[in-house]
Amino acid sequence: MSLKPIKTLDDVKDYLYAGMQLEHATIPTYITTMYSIHPDTNLEAYNLIRVIVIEEMLHLTLAANILNAVGGTPDMNKEGFLPEFPTYLPNGETDFEVSLAPFSHEAIDMFLEIERPAKPEEEHTGVRLKAVNPSQKKYLLPCLKDENDQDVSYYSIGDFYKAIEEGLEMLCDELGEENVFVGDKSRQVTPEYYYSGGGDIVPVYDLESAKEAIRLISEQGEGFEGGIFDYEGELAHYYRFQQLKLGKYYHKGDQADEPTGEALSIDWDAVYPIKVNAKMDEYPKDSELYAANLKFNQYYKNFMDKINTAFNGKPETLIPAIGGMFIIKQMAYEIIKNPIPGQEGVNATPTFEVDKVELLSDEELNVVTPQHG
Amino acid sequence: MENRKSHLLEDIVTDHKTASEILYDAVIVGAGISGAIMANELSQKGFKVLVVEAGPGQDLTIPGYEEYVKRFYTNLDKDPNAPYPVNSSAPMPRPQDIKPLKKGEIDDSGYIVQKGPDVFDGTYAKVVGGTTMHFQSNTPRMLPEDFEMKSTFDKGIDWPMKYDDLKPYYRRAEKEMGVAANVEDQAYDGMTFDEGYVFPMEAMPPTYLDKVIADTVDGTVIKLAGENHELKVRNIPQGRNGIPNPKYNNGKGFVPDGAVSDHQAEIGERCQGNTNCTPICPVQAKYDARKTLAKALHTDQVDFLNKTIASKVIVDPNTGEVTSLEVKYYDEVGADHYEVATLKARKFILAGNAIENARLMLASGLKGESELIGKNLTNHIYLFNWALMPENVGAFRGTQGTSGIENFRSGQFRNEQAAFHMDIINNGWNFATGAPYSDVADLVDNKNKYGKDLRKGLVDKVCRQVLFTFMVEMTADPNNAVTVDPQYKDKFGNLKPVVSFKIPEYTLNGLQYGRKLAKKLFQQLGAEDYTEYNPTDWGYIIHNGEGIVVRGGNHFSGTHIMGDDPKTSVVDTNQKSWDHKNLFLVGSGSMPTIGTSNTTLTLAALCYKTADAITNELNNEKNNQQKKELDYVS
Repeated sequence: MSLKPIKTLDDVKDYLYAGMQLEHATIPTYITTMYSIHPDTNLEAYNLIRVIVIEEMLHLTLAANILNAVGGTPDMNKEGFLPEFPTYLPNGETDFEVSLAPFSHEAIDMFLEIERPAKPEEEHTGVRLKAVNPSQKKYLLPCLKDENDQDVSYYSIGDFYKAIEEGLEMLCDELGEENVFVGDKSRQVTPEYYYSGGGDIVPVYDLESAKEAIRLISEQGEGFEGGIFDYEGELAHYYRFQQLKLGKYYHKGDQADEPTGEALSIDWDAVYPIKVNAKMDEYPKDSELYAANLKFNQYYKNFMDKINTAFNGKPETLIPAIGGMFIIKQMAYEIIKNPIPGQEGVNATPTFEVDKVELLSDEELNVVTPQHG
Repeated sequence: MENRKSHLLEDIVTDHKTASEILYDAVIVGAGISGAIMANELSQKGFKVLVVEAGPGQDLTIPGYEEYVKRFYTNLDKDPNAPYPVNSSAPMPRPQDIKPLKKGEIDDSGYIVQKGPDVFDGTYAKVVGGTTMHFQSNTPRMLPEDFEMKSTFDKGIDWPMKYDDLKPYYRRAEKEMGVAANVEDQAYDGMTFDEGYVFPMEAMPPTYLDKVIADTVDGTVIKLAGENHELKVRNIPQGRNGIPNPKYNNGKGFVPDGAVSDHQAEIGERCQGNTNCTPICPVQAKYDARKTLAKALHTDQVDFLNKTIASKVIVDPNTGEVTSLEVKYYDEVGADHYEVATLKARKFILAGNAIENARLMLASGLKGESELIGKNLTNHIYLFNWALMPENVGAFRGTQGTSGIENFRSGQFRNEQAAFHMDIINNGWNFATGAPYSDVADLVDNKNKYGKDLRKGLVDKVCRQVLFTFMVEMTADPNNAVTVDPQYKDKFGNLKPVVSFKIPEYTLNGLQYGRKLAKKLFQQLGAEDYTEYNPTDWGYIIHNGEGIVVRGGNHFSGTHIMGDDPKTSVVDTNQKSWDHKNLFLVGSGSMPTIGTSNTTLTLAALCYKTADAITNELNNEKNNQQKKELDYVS
């Protein structure tokens, strides 16, 4: 599948599917880095990343809401939904790779690339698309084709969502709003199923609420009108991560790149030296490590299935499903604490290779997911 | 990290010299929930407020809070004050202070001097946020009949107001604390709610354990004092972030307060069921008074002095009005040296707690006309009953308490025996035996288990644990009292509280009935009763030939009771001192009875009423002042 400039409702659905893929793809990378931090150290960094993970879950849910609103069917079980790492972002950005990596300066730089703000309009040449360097041939995910079948990409996640918004506006003009937002309303995840410190779930029923959801996703990542805060006054992800790089917190009224808040204390050494983008084949077949990672991948697949169920008409199952994050953390630590046999000074890490394992039921997995809210 | 100053604090912590040159609209002693509500209400109205706090006050940042969490995790004792550092400069009562008390003996080894005859058990926290930092966060309202104990049951003292008078203030307190509950579950025993009212958040979901108990127990009829009580497991209202109710505030919904931080944190979201609400919520999902204080601090109308102990209330002997407050302040936790400052304000608000408010008044030589300050000290007395359920019930999941049995909060039996709230505890036998740590020790030391056997043994035992706690009411008795005595001082020369305490017969009757009920319920549930009361325990009491072990709650009250008559009460219904017109003693000390309700919600409600009264007084005084000035000019 390849994305095209939006012309039809099916194009929008393809984009939203890629949007869900995109939001979700950031989660393994953020949590891997987070769990590579020695437990109970670097709490400030840990908390900073953790909040962003929660908001990515929110963005994933918002993307699913928009997809449901236009009559699409979220499918997180589809092969390739979770890319193999390293990967490019599914919105077509190809000038950097997303990896599963330990907490480090490099990891923070990568996070900053993921969340980088859109360039101001005047800096874009024409649309927010740019030609992809033909020498970069490693496309793990569908990139975009322009009208001339030329590979192009969006510069930022915000640009990508802007394209969806414009597509929706165009289709509403063309077909009438009621023929675009044809989804079953009961499939929407509503605010009571979710909240974090910042941002609410927006149920999407029409163009206005779709734009509201898109605005929330874009601004939470990149800020509002070029500022460092979003419309709700919440510091954007890019600048949250930048605090780690600059070692200082932003305060209200601060300008981009110049935080004036208190210092962050970071211990870059209190980190497990996990293997970057490890694969299950690298763990000896008969080792406990192999078994633990296999189980992790199976559990993560089951977790994604549960989230997918919530997005497919059972919103009430979202909260219990998210309880699975506790198990994921516990399982991840069990793997990360161990060196890889035969590889000195390199620790193992969950590989997130969900396409290589079977989807198992809770009973088959024999892991009890906490059910308490 | 330890010494890093928070921006929020840097901006608001004033120095003692500057503060002593300002005439504040109000000086508030204590940064717990009462003080925080008073500070927030008054500062939002534009009044200039100073808050003094005895504790270190480095708790308004996430790293500061995380230090508490870490101290709790690494502390071998998991008691309510485990997260909070020992501070000899501003000492607080700690469970480790409690020892058996011989007849006639006075134990002055801890902060509270124990005069007996019974041991006075309970702790509070001298830190920003006060005791809400380690409270379990149960927030039931008092029952209408609790306000009229004397006239209804000829026990205790009536309140000078009724349930309906407090109702609007309960709503404000529930909003501030973000109470999670369902009206349908709470409308029992005469508690009424306004048409269409919903709590800010939806009730916390019951745990699996709650459901198992309810399946068996619901509908059981118990006859007591000629009345039938049909048992029902009910949800416990609690100040804890859950699902905001979209119907709240006429459909506008409710936005929960997250973690307190001086930079944007966006943490402190939903409760994750960590089962250590007491002594500290690791994710700041539980309400604590720092959340209210932080709002007050953001108004820029509040000055804050931490490490500052109120040492003397100074009164004009002619007018009876308070002229100033003497404070002692220190540099760092455990400092031996202090300086003295004098603070001035139009209104003085003592928001220590029932014990500290009384201690400060008495230490200042202010007994009051009624001589009731410090008297009628009450608490809740707890009885633990623990058993093993026949099957795994998933102990140690969820908040510490999500459901309870409320049938014995109300009834004719209150003529003879104390009422109680029964809590179904989710964290196993922890409160009673120190589980699961004690279970590990037992399996390793006594049963010689290790490896897989140890793991299996633990799972088998720990997951089946059930604990019922009975929180039993006390009636006021003037002999139960906080006093001071010049021979008992802390190292800064501040007089320590001296407590005389005896658990009344009435309460013992209630406790004994609780034991009987627990046995019956365990039998019904097929649970194996492991309750054991050790005769060498300091809380061991023999009543009617039967031994039980009691524990104290941290629900101190009654030391400056409110009333309509200056001869029989210390404060009026606005918690204003009868003797000193510009002095307010706020908190649970004002409550003549507390029934079977955890005190925090009710004392918070009272604070809203008092804040309104002070606002009116200050506005009137300012208007009169302006009028006078105008008269003078014309």
